[in-house]
Amino acid sequence: MTTPLLDVENLTISYRIGKRWIPAVRDFHLQLAPGHVVGLVGESGSGKSTVALALMRYLSSNGRVESGGRLAFAGEDLLSKSAAEMRSIWARRVKLVPQNAGAALNPSLKIGAQVIEVLYAAMGIGGAEAEQAVLGMFHDVNLVDPEKVADRYPHELSGGMQQRVVIAMALITNPELLILDEPTTGLDVTTEAVILDLVRGLMAERDTGVIYITHNLGVVAQLCERVLVLYAGEIMEEAPVDQLYAQPRHPYSLGLLNSVPRLGQSKADSRLHSISGNPPALAQLSSGCVFADRCEFVIDKCRVDKPPLEQLGDGRAVRCFRWEEVDASFLDPSVETSYQSSFHGDGEEQPGRQIDNEVGDKLMRVTDLKKHFPVAKSLGDWLRGKTPAPIRAVDGVNLTLGAGQTLGLVGESGSGKTTLSRLIIGLQERSGGQLELLGMDIRNSVRERSPDVLSKLQMVFQNPQNSLNPYLSVRQALRRPLVKLRDMTPAQAEAEVSELLRRVNLREDYADRFPDELSGGEKQRVVIARAFASDPDLIICDEPVSALDVSVQSAVLNLLARLQEEHGTAYLFISHDLAVVGYLSDVIAVMYLGQLFEVGAASDLFQPPYHPYTEALVSAIPVADPEHKAERMLLHDVLPSAQHLPSGCRFHTRCPRKIGAVCEEEAPPWREVDAGHAIRCHIPLEELSAQQRSFLRPEEIG
Amino acid sequence: MNPSSFGRQIAALRRFAGVLLRHPQSALGTALVFFFLFVAVFGAQLAPYANPNDQSHAPRVSPTMDIGALQLGEHPFGTDRLGRDVYSRVILGAGSIFRIAGLGTLISVLVGSAVGLYMGYRGGWFDELLGRVIDALLAIPALLLALVLVGIIRNLDFEIGSWQAELADNVVLLVIAVLYVPVVARVARSSALDIKTREFVEAAEIRGEPTYYIIFREILPSVIPALVVEASLRFSYAIFLVASLGFLGFGARPPSPDWGLMVNENRGGFYQLTPWALDFPALAIAILVIAVNLMSDGIRRAVQKGN
Amino acid sequence: MLKFLRRRFVFFVFTYLISSLMIFFLLRVLPGDPARVIAGGREATVEQVAQIRSELGLNAPVPQQYVNWLGSFLRGDWGKTIAFRGADNRELITQRSINSARLALVALLLSVPLSLVLGIIAGLRENKLPDVIISLLTLSVVSLPEFVTGLFLINIVALRWGRSELAGALGWWFPSSSAVPANASFGEMLPALWLPAFAATLVLLAYISRLTRAGVIEELKRDYVRTAALKGIPYRSVILRHVLRNALLPTVTVIAISITWLISGLVVIEYVFGFPGLGSLLIAAIERRDLLLVQAIVMVSVTVILFTNLFADLAYAALNPRIKLG
Ligand SMILES: Nc1ncnc2c1ncn2[C@@H]1O[C@H](COP(=O)(O)OP(=O)(O)O)[C@@H](O)[C@H]1O
Ligand code: SF4
Ligand code: SF4
Ligand SMILES: [Mg+2]
Repeated sequence: MTTPLLDVENLTISYRIGKRWIPAVRDFHLQLAPGHVVGLVGESGSGKSTVALALMRYLSSNGRVESGGRLAFAGEDLLSKSAAEMRSIWARRVKLVPQNAGAALNPSLKIGAQVIEVLYAAMGIGGAEAEQAVLGMFHDVNLVDPEKVADRYPHELSGGMQQRVVIAMALITNPELLILDEPTTGLDVTTEAVILDLVRGLMAERDTGVIYITHNLGVVAQLCERVLVLYAGEIMEEAPVDQLYAQPRHPYSLGLLNSVPRLGQSKADSRLHSISGNPPALAQLSSGCVFADRCEFVIDKCRVDKPPLEQLGDGRAVRCFRWEEVDASFLDPSVETSYQSSFHGDGEEQPGRQIDNEVGDKLMRVTDLKKHFPVAKSLGDWLRGKTPAPIRAVDGVNLTLGAGQTLGLVGESGSGKTTLSRLIIGLQERSGGQLELLGMDIRNSVRERSPDVLSKLQMVFQNPQNSLNPYLSVRQALRRPLVKLRDMTPAQAEAEVSELLRRVNLREDYADRFPDELSGGEKQRVVIARAFASDPDLIICDEPVSALDVSVQSAVLNLLARLQEEHGTAYLFISHDLAVVGYLSDVIAVMYLGQLFEVGAASDLFQPPYHPYTEALVSAIPVADPEHKAERMLLHDVLPSAQHLPSGCRFHTRCPRKIGAVCEEEAPPWREVDAGHAIRCHIPLEELSAQQRSFLRPEEIG
Repeated sequence: MNPSSFGRQIAALRRFAGVLLRHPQSALGTALVFFFLFVAVFGAQLAPYANPNDQSHAPRVSPTMDIGALQLGEHPFGTDRLGRDVYSRVILGAGSIFRIAGLGTLISVLVGSAVGLYMGYRGGWFDELLGRVIDALLAIPALLLALVLVGIIRNLDFEIGSWQAELADNVVLLVIAVLYVPVVARVARSSALDIKTREFVEAAEIRGEPTYYIIFREILPSVIPALVVEASLRFSYAIFLVASLGFLGFGARPPSPDWGLMVNENRGGFYQLTPWALDFPALAIAILVIAVNLMSDGIRRAVQKGN
Repeated sequence: MLKFLRRRFVFFVFTYLISSLMIFFLLRVLPGDPARVIAGGREATVEQVAQIRSELGLNAPVPQQYVNWLGSFLRGDWGKTIAFRGADNRELITQRSINSARLALVALLLSVPLSLVLGIIAGLRENKLPDVIISLLTLSVVSLPEFVTGLFLINIVALRWGRSELAGALGWWFPSSSAVPANASFGEMLPALWLPAFAATLVLLAYISRLTRAGVIEELKRDYVRTAALKGIPYRSVILRHVLRNALLPTVTVIAISITWLISGLVVIEYVFGFPGLGSLLIAAIERRDLLLVQAIVMVSVTVILFTNLFADLAYAALNPRIKLG
């Protein structure tokens, strides 16, 4: 390596909290050569953004880089630069693409003006010349109709378009170093896939050094050459990407890689590996290994001495005393098998559950369920006496759910998943259709439902932060449903509270804690306990793990799987993460613009033939496996509005497999693949199968 | 209430007081407010002359107070042109301003929060209609409405001793309560609108909890911080309003020792004669208003920090 | 745009109707028998009361009375005063409104720029010395009741300063009373306007500057500020071009709301200074139980306030691209 583009050694970054300076990132190091991409992975709070801002020398006013470190950019020491010198470096040589593009744009300036400002600051170009350059750059980031985009305000663009604008803003000066801080977090998988594709294409053409920050191991595998794994402010492991995934050397990397379910993995085969405990808070760092409290390999020495970052050669480094012993075989063997097998083709060998929606114990039947939100009239409508079309959030959904089963619901955000779940639980009133629970019709809204029905339906929410009343203790939160829905006496309820806590793996003394004394994962356990308190038949889980840290997600998923086994409770499980849905579900329904387009057993759904929309969702998943470099089927454009739905097949505006006018004119028929697996598309199943198999590379077909 | 939640409330209160008192301005404001409150409660014991309208002293005596020597003398703030002891009148005037502003605020906060919480939680036509009425009410400046109301009610002839007359005597208190109900209701409503979308409220709905349980047990505790801030703000405006109404002659009637009234009675030509008879009540109003403002600002800061 | 306009307009009309209804009921229904109140309370004879009753149309059913009253108010027929020797209410109010508007204008011209500057400085230097000083100032001195500051200005500034040698030498003094003739021209009135306008300025200063400060602090925390700074443009441009553009947007609304405050404040200030404006007229009208005049004055105030709010909403929407006018 000649002079590296970026050479960071011994960097310690502190924040002032109260009166103390607390080192949030310790002993960070990084080498980056031009034209290379290094990934920085870690959970929220591990210090990723702190590193990014410190590298930019733009820490918030209560942050500072401690002396003794080295931060060299193209051979120049950045730490000694004056504010004016930093400004000229910011202007063209290093650029940051921040998290949340929507907030990063000035809401009251037009897009074009904001990008032109970059050019002006960097090289004093303005006027028509700058405009041309901006339009050219917009074209390069695949923004359709650049002139129009330039003339808009940020709020008039979709999330994906905002993200492209921010990327264009960063690349327009042709920077030497580009830092992308979680650029796709918060976007749909389909949009994420498009953006990742774009970034990869743009990077291939340039000599820019890139630092890509994310919490998603799949994204790193798809994009980076080398990875740094960050935990609680320290680098745990550094390795070339393929080596890290093939043989992680740090217990944390190992645990993390094994706790994320692969597509095709199911609760029937194995529990997920999970890392116990929670990431440490900034203020309570130990003097030993920061991971010691959660590590399965921990020895006494780990709690006393801090392990050094040991260089293993080959560009690998690891911060662990026992790295030589760390090996996947240490973990549950069943997990290992499912990790190493590729995801396609798993289904056939596995003892797939027999799913037959027509027989067996039916728990709930949803018939032609609809929710139309009325839209207020505009003055024009008023004068012409017209009523505007309503927003058809849920538009004719039929579903059957068996007792003790999990029904997974997937689809992009805005497809109507949340609305559907709220209609079933009764938090919103339906505009049409029937709900039957155990053969009896149930009323529209919770207010009209009998206590008996109420106790049979419960819910686990996405955001554990808001799911518990901050002013009620865990005991109070759990006691109420027992008294209210199960008619227990206070003494009985008291005993049952302890039992509930035990079942969700929380110590009994948690009963007297308040929500602010619990971590996110613990809160979600209490919420799950509360949902189970009334001994329900069906629990609706709307994105129950997506607000949790990656390392605690798998423990919650395992808990849900175990409780289902023990109680025979059915779940309606909503998630944007197909692998998670696949892991927990028996049946999966794919939703798009208020309607279902595919329903089938979880074991069948992720292989051809699938509905073109399912296909797009599956291929958009960033797989945590650097070997998996399948061509993607990308969905361009945004979800059409649920007020002005496309005619014919609702997916035709974005469908890559659209066959012609028939798709625009006629609603597609349901076609049955097997019992319980049906697809709604005009393409005959055999043809669909054939096309989809040839789309995959041969070795990926099982 | 179980012991752990009681302990938590004590701890929260301590933390709150800590943040409030750590800031020098708010600590000073709070101390002064409590000083005035003390004077208001024990006015009769503290005043050298228990009868504020005792005209037996020599008129137009200059203040005998000597700060350097730490001596009060016979008439610390002097006497007015009728020979009344200004010091006693200022001390005895503290009670009414606290009673009227305090009770008025209390009533408005209680009624306003109940109305606002119900509006925010239930929504629908009730909320829509009441919301519009509140908007309309807020379009009329508070002081104008107060003047009109007080002006009318005081001119009505009621039989002495009847309940209407009782009411008319407390008209300023009632007007403050009525004026601030919509303001408080608006704050409570918007907080309730925010809280009711939280999942823990939905969890209670899924359990089939009745409306009163959801409003008082689930929503109210989270709204209390915002209500405390609003109450302290309302109190400072109420003090302001009571003093202003008194000054305009729409508060207490002469010869009561109302601070605003005393200021009004001693301005203009009389000011040349006995400036102290105006300066001291005016000073009392100024210090009290500033103190209440500093305290309420501190409360706002402490509540924001606590969240 | 049309949709937005329609919504604002419907809101305006609705609010106007409700407030007029409240004013009507307060003054017509609440006092028991308004005719008796107007006729002078207990001493009035039965004949006097009966005559006023028929003059005011009080024999009609109450809803009809409301419609009649609102109709004639909107047509500009506001009746005659009793308190001011039978002058026409509308002429009286118009003249006094002009005087109050002059006072308000001077106060706004003084306070708006000053409070914006103070608010911006305090916001940019949050918790630093300038902020602490400005905050303490706005919080304490400036939030005193208007009559306290007004009397301070009269007794200390006008009287003491007016008699000092320096004022004599400079030839610049302030009249201690603003009791100018009600029909004086703006130029004649101006010397008498400074002190009351200054008292009114203090009322607004606290309000506008504190909200401006809060707006600046809030905007400084936003992500786009970092984006702007990392473009490598100077701090000055980051603040002027990006932060203030967004922070000052709500100020339009803030100033409109402060008009409501100003109207309350002016009542007291005009009374203290003896200035012949709408506020002192209102107090006189209430004292003399001239219900028709009181009603008209309150209606005029409400009209001004609602129009200001409407205008501010439109201006805010026009300036803010996030509100779609389409
Ligand atoms: N209360 C509402 N009023 C109007 N439209 C709504 C409302 N709730 C949801 N929608 C619309 O319904 C559609 C589906 O939304 P949602 O159920 O939230 O989908 P998802 O759960 O997949 O994110 C969207 O177009 C959304 O804008
Ligand atoms: S040093 Fe010890 S505690 Fe830390 S990761 Fe290695 S084995 Fe685990
Ligand atoms: S019906 Fe046509 S548009 Fe719809 S999914 Fe099938 S091929 Fe695509
Ligand atoms: Mg959703």
